[in-house]
Amino acid sequence: MKLITAILKPFKLDDVKNALQAHGVTGMTVSEASGFGRQKGHTEVYRGAEYTVDLVPKVRLEVLADDADADSVVAVIVKAASTGSIGDGKVWTTPVDQVVRVRTGERGPDAI
Amino acid sequence: MSTSERRERSHQSDLSLLSLFSMATYEHLVITDTKGIAVAAVGGYGRGELSPGSDLDFVILHEGQFSEDKLSKFVSALLYPLWDSYKVDHSVRTRLQTRNAARDDLKVTLGLLDIRFIAGDSELVEQVAKDSRELWREKPHARLLELKTSMEQRHNRAGELAYLLEPDVKESRGGLRDINALHAIAASGLVAVPLDRISKAQSTLDDAREALHIVSGRSKDQLLFQEQDKVAKYLGYADADVMMGEVAQAARSVDYLLGYIWHSVELSESSGGSLRSSDAQSVANNISVTRNEIVIDDAAALRTDPVISIRAAATAAQLGLRLSLETCSMITTALAAGESMLPTPWPREARELLISLIGAGEAMVPIFESLDQEEIIFSWIPEWHSVRSLPQRNALHRHTVDRHMVETAVRAAKLTRKVHRPDLLLFASLFHDIGKGSAEDHSERGERLIAPIAARIGFSPEDIQTLQILVRHHLLLSSTATRRDLDDPATILSITSVIPDLNTLELLHALSVADGEATGSAGWSDWKAALVSDLVSRVRKAMSGSQIAQQPSLSQEQLHLAESAHLTIELLDHPSGYSIEIVAPDMPGLLSLIAGVLNISRQDVKSARTKTHGKSAVMYWIVSPQPHAPKITAAGLRDEIEKGFNDSHLVEEKLLARARIYASIPTIPVPAPDVVYFNDVATDATVIEVRSHDRPGLLFRIGAAITQSKVDIRSAIVTTLGAEAIDTLYVTELSGGPLTDERAEEVTSRLRAALA
Repeated sequence: MKLITAILKPFKLDDVKNALQAHGVTGMTVSEASGFGRQKGHTEVYRGAEYTVDLVPKVRLEVLADDADADSVVAVIVKAASTGSIGDGKVWTTPVDQVVRVRTGERGPDAI
Repeated sequence: MSTSERRERSHQSDLSLLSLFSMATYEHLVITDTKGIAVAAVGGYGRGELSPGSDLDFVILHEGQFSEDKLSKFVSALLYPLWDSYKVDHSVRTRLQTRNAARDDLKVTLGLLDIRFIAGDSELVEQVAKDSRELWREKPHARLLELKTSMEQRHNRAGELAYLLEPDVKESRGGLRDINALHAIAASGLVAVPLDRISKAQSTLDDAREALHIVSGRSKDQLLFQEQDKVAKYLGYADADVMMGEVAQAARSVDYLLGYIWHSVELSESSGGSLRSSDAQSVANNISVTRNEIVIDDAAALRTDPVISIRAAATAAQLGLRLSLETCSMITTALAAGESMLPTPWPREARELLISLIGAGEAMVPIFESLDQEEIIFSWIPEWHSVRSLPQRNALHRHTVDRHMVETAVRAAKLTRKVHRPDLLLFASLFHDIGKGSAEDHSERGERLIAPIAARIGFSPEDIQTLQILVRHHLLLSSTATRRDLDDPATILSITSVIPDLNTLELLHALSVADGEATGSAGWSDWKAALVSDLVSRVRKAMSGSQIAQQPSLSQEQLHLAESAHLTIELLDHPSGYSIEIVAPDMPGLLSLIAGVLNISRQDVKSARTKTHGKSAVMYWIVSPQPHAPKITAAGLRDEIEKGFNDSHLVEEKLLARARIYASIPTIPVPAPDVVYFNDVATDATVIEVRSHDRPGLLFRIGAAITQSKVDIRSAIVTTLGAEAIDTLYVTELSGGPLTDERAEEVTSRLRAALA
């Protein structure tokens, strides 16, 4: 099993969510995040005073997937999240040892 | 569902206890004369009312005459049969033990205040009751302080009944425990408690609690979502919203009365019981501070001065004091008699006062609560009825609609420095959700509803339009920022197509922040704030235009007067007080001199437009007199100004003396003044903008700081909006021309220091 984590532009969340649902992904976790990558922060001029916004608001989305599905889920996210400009975000996967559904106690891929 | 049913339940319990008591004394104590042994109800049961889930609280009193074994068998015989049908909370004590327990434990004391004889030795019960009352009245201040502390802890734990979505009708602030506390305070004899004010609230809350116990089959007191519909149906309300609205209203009236009672308790302590009214201090026309409360001096003034009630409210808010209960009833009596009604449109003073009230921040909340509880607000703004205690079944919100709007205005008061029209920001904040309470989109409905309110209050057609845009689009920035691509020009266009200018944009931004913060952490976060700021700065770049107040232009007549370079003063009556046109030979420090003279003549500057022409300065002032200010004349002003020409320290000394008088008046926390300069808006001058809370002598200080910086004021535009002032100064070097950035920094920091 894999945990797929995606950092996205906030406005792309709906697109990604819809694409994942269409792909058959039924559950996901979404949280507010901020950070920077190559996009870095940008400088703003507000009423004469310059200040640097070093952290850019992003959305963090997490999905659990079976090993066999992971690549296709990543592809769906990347396709839906892409605008082609800087700051589109990143997607990565991490191996997951065990998953348990709290309500039923199901384990492994059944719990996804 | 009623008091009589709760009484009947209590009565039936009395009968069970009575028969058990007779049997147990006979069987286990082997006595027929019950002298020295008794059962008495305490707490809620002592008051003779029982809900289905209430505890059966009682105390078994004895005189220590029985062996421990005998007593314990007696108690068991009394209790065991009860356990099947009741939750029993009992204690077994002698008179002395009871007294000691009451001394040590506030809960015991409060329970004993309601002690009621059930069976056995009635004299013993009477003695214990007398002991308890005496103990409660022995050191009332200390005991009430203890009560207050325990209540505050409970409130922190259980939250406010009126505003929680799933409140606890007993424990929450404004709930049944608070009602009991009010009864206990009344029993202390320290202050009078008008308990009739909350009798309706008490039956509403008692009924809700009883129904909750019945429909849930449990003795929990929290009105969970899942129970609310059932409870509402059981009680015959149209729906859960109507019931929760009534419950909230009941809790608010309890909390409101408690607020006043604590205030009187504190006062009775500080004044040692003697209530002097001679220390009244006049703080506005017909308004004084007495016993740390705002009072209207004379009921007759309500008939002649329709603005007086709003003046009392605004003054109370700006000074951070309460409106006295007597003043509130004075106003409601006058309103009920059709007197003291504000004309339509409101006079300018009333509108400004409303803005001062809204802009007082946290201090506005208790005043607004008074206006709501006393139903005064509805005579000013009848539309407020439709949102009063209106619940919001929405996980994002934590408050009812009306309180949410009040909270939004509190947040907006902190953002007044960020906008050029604090009055519009504050007004829009207090009414942004006025459209809630129907199936229609609340922003669209609000846009329609705000227009007649704003017109009645006297805003100009342009301002009404801005207010409509603000209400209609108060969710636009946050929804766009989180859902649309900020890099896409179409996103920016979607904002600029509905937001016409920079002023409206900055107002909408501040309103979005205030609204979000008031909603709570579920609806607002730094994350969202950053996205909204990013959107706003992108939109700002796409907009053009200036927000800086333009220099006034002079009429032919004024130009002619300016040529002569003599001091001329023309004083006319004005709805706000006076309008004063002054033409004077220009000199460094002229603005602060005139501002100072006006201040020592006890006139508050409402607005000013000044411009230098040739060797003269032409100034147009609108001022309003402070309470009991002597009448001013053109000759008197001329005299003072000429004295000031000769000796500029004279004015400063007099001002210092006045400042000492102002210092004795209480204040509320306000946002720090904001001073910024612009070197790119006028070709021949640097523009300095000062935004500050208005206070006596403000303009004098600004003028003095500018003069000390050795720069020349070419033009000044002074505006007061409610309690906020925005002053725009066009300044040049003495030799002419705008300041360098370095010099401008120097002047602005000097100004900041002078206003700190």
